[in-house]
Amino acid sequence: MKRDKKITQLAKKLVELSKDDNGAVTEAKVSEVLAGLKQVKHRHHLTVLKSYLGYLRREVALQTAVVATPSALSDAALKEIEANYTKLYGRPISAVTNQDTSLIAGVRVRVGDDVYDASVSGRLQRLAENVH
Amino acid sequence: MKALFITLLFALSLPLGLYSAEDLHVVSLDAAVAGHAEDGGVISELAGNFGITWPTLIAQMVNFCIVAIVLYKFAVKPIVATLDERQQKIADGLQYAEEMKAQLAAAERERAEKIKEAAVDAQRILNESREQSKEMIEQKTQEAAAQAEAIIRKASEATEQERKKMLTEVRQEVARLVVATSSKVLSRDLSDTEKSTFSESAAKELASAGN
Repeated sequence: MKRDKKITQLAKKLVELSKDDNGAVTEAKVSEVLAGLKQVKHRHHLTVLKSYLGYLRREVALQTAVVATPSALSDAALKEIEANYTKLYGRPISAVTNQDTSLIAGVRVRVGDDVYDASVSGRLQRLAENVH
Repeated sequence: MKALFITLLFALSLPLGLYSAEDLHVVSLDAAVAGHAEDGGVISELAGNFGITWPTLIAQMVNFCIVAIVLYKFAVKPIVATLDERQQKIADGLQYAEEMKAQLAAAERERAEKIKEAAVDAQRILNESREQSKEMIEQKTQEAAAQAEAIIRKASEATEQERKKMLTEVRQEVARLVVATSSKVLSRDLSDTEKSTFSESAAKELASAGN
């Protein structure tokens, strides 16, 4: 129990070390952290790595806005979305697109566990729910 | 009773005395004729006429007294005692009968009172039973009415709930059909340009939502 807590704290510190000056997780920083872990050779190396991977995925998900859309969006729109959610959450957020034809038209943005839906299918779904 | 028997004894002994006197009279008549001629006294003449001689009379009287005493001692007295006893028994019996009659009358009165009380009690119980049955009938009627009302209310509620449920299901189904149809229609009828335009507009909407 105590060991798990220490590993968790270590993993969180490693995640913090994986961020750059803007607070964004970058590949270069993660590579540095991994290189450092190889040198240190922690007694529970594998467990630390697994915990680090979990927290890192969560952090990446929190810093990523998955924009689902049936058709490609312009770069300007993506930049606008990134700027908006970076300002909204107070942390750097990068947008990645994901094609989803079931949306018919419009976009659906997911940041971590938050979902922002401006798609036609979502509006129709809300309309159906409001009819009840 | 005792005097009656003594009188009866005297009455019975009188014929016997007369019979004895008559026998003596026949005997003494001859002597009287002869004596009258000799003495010539009035008393003697009367005695002679009635055939009375003093020794015979005295002997008859003594005899009669003896017979009377014996009869009184051994016949009259037990008979009188028996009669008194019977009379006492009869009196006791009559008294007992009177007492029994009084007791019977009292018992009859008591029985009549009891019957009357029983009739009153029975009437009272009957009235109470009628009142209770009437109250019970009213109570049961009210309970039955309340139960019927509750059943009707529950049935109405159940019907209303069922109707609402059906309406909800119908709405859901209609909404689902509308959504499905709209989705198909929009997917088919919207051009790629229109979809791109809408998506750009939606992205701008989301981008400006936080501001």
